[in-house]
Amino acid sequence: MIGVNAQEVPATGTALAVEGLGVQYGRATALDGVSLNLPKGSVYALLGRNGAGKSSLVRCVLGQQKPTSGGVTLFGADAWKSRTAAMTRIGVVPEEPNAPPEMTAVQLARFCSRLYSRWDQTAFEQRLARFEVPTSVPFGRLSKGQKGLVQLSLALAPAPELLILDDPTLGLDAVARTVFFEELVGELADRGTTVFLTTHDLSGVEGIADRVGILKDGKLALDESMETLKSRFRRIRYANEVTEERTEFGKELDPFFALKVKVRGWGVEAVVNNYDDPLFERFQRTEGVVDAEAAAMSLEEIFLAVAGEPKGVRP
Amino acid sequence: MNRTLHVDPRDSSPIWRQIEEGVRRLVASGALQPGGLVPSVRDLASELRVNPATVAKAYQRLTEAEVLTVRRGEGTFVSQSPPPFEGREKSRSLHEGALRYASLATTLGATSEETVSELKGVLQSFKKNRIGGAS
Repeated sequence: MIGVNAQEVPATGTALAVEGLGVQYGRATALDGVSLNLPKGSVYALLGRNGAGKSSLVRCVLGQQKPTSGGVTLFGADAWKSRTAAMTRIGVVPEEPNAPPEMTAVQLARFCSRLYSRWDQTAFEQRLARFEVPTSVPFGRLSKGQKGLVQLSLALAPAPELLILDDPTLGLDAVARTVFFEELVGELADRGTTVFLTTHDLSGVEGIADRVGILKDGKLALDESMETLKSRFRRIRYANEVTEERTEFGKELDPFFALKVKVRGWGVEAVVNNYDDPLFERFQRTEGVVDAEAAAMSLEEIFLAVAGEPKGVRP
Repeated sequence: MNRTLHVDPRDSSPIWRQIEEGVRRLVASGALQPGGLVPSVRDLASELRVNPATVAKAYQRLTEAEVLTVRRGEGTFVSQSPPPFEGREKSRSLHEGALRYASLATTLGATSEETVSELKGVLQSFKKNRIGGAS
């Protein structure tokens, strides 16, 4: 009675696969050899600064953009060639609300329902009621948060196997964000839906995403499970003790791969990406290293350390 | 339970472990009584706003460790006689707690004697108030 369907019926196979994806706009490279995989039931958060290539990747996934090289497969079929077939299995929340402004949420649902073989109108209306979205107000006159919640309700109504959320909480206030993520968690629990999302809301997805990718300059700088990512990144702080034998510093960080090193008045602060406990215990015993501490990093801090650096740094 | 079970996604410990240890703590302190119902995976995941698979993983480990019992169609309950913290997990948790306390003591400039005597004092007061399972 644990109630996670994904657990009772183990999901197998791949919902979404991106293979060597490249997109060129004239001479500009938007995406360069991006590969990633979403096993069914996973929740993947794609992060990246503006201009990193997130939108191009999402457009390719949705079959709206023809790749220059490589490709995207949705449930084993090419996203560009078999767009229509794949779209019936996918729910999308676009970055910008794109529904006709004069239609009410209920009219929108009736319109969208014709495009899908499955459509749960009751669930749709129950969600709107839970979100307290008025059903008789035209879409264009709803608040930004209400629009986002209507889009989510529309995306969930056909009981999609894959949910694609393009920065879904952008511009939403704290209440709408909370409601949005609670609904998403409920959907994961009830149906084990696979989710691919891009976001700037790193604290919101921190507990929900199980895999993270960071796009940087069109390339996937990082692609791994949230748990591994968080276990290998640490912010290390320590003071240097000047002794007669030891007057120079800098070598002590060598066992670590340090992404950022800042020398401050009281000592040194470094972000390392290959942390483990035994390595750190040896580090603490290094001569001249005093008061060393290793602090866990939030997803946001990790993102800043990886995506904020100039080109050429191995994340 | 939800009021006292906290997870911090920013913590270095994985969320499933935080939930697992949180539940064990609540059971050990008596806040969760043997035979008591625990929230469903869905409810707890919504409450904590974490991936339900993470909660399911923690519950599964707790069930395997016989801290929780699943009764089909009824829900998940605290076992009638939940086992105490044991082995590696116990020593790891102890070590982590000790590290935190020792760091604090060092930061404050307390001597070893002061640090140990404070700890003993707290244990003594726990014993008086009958908190915890140690006799």
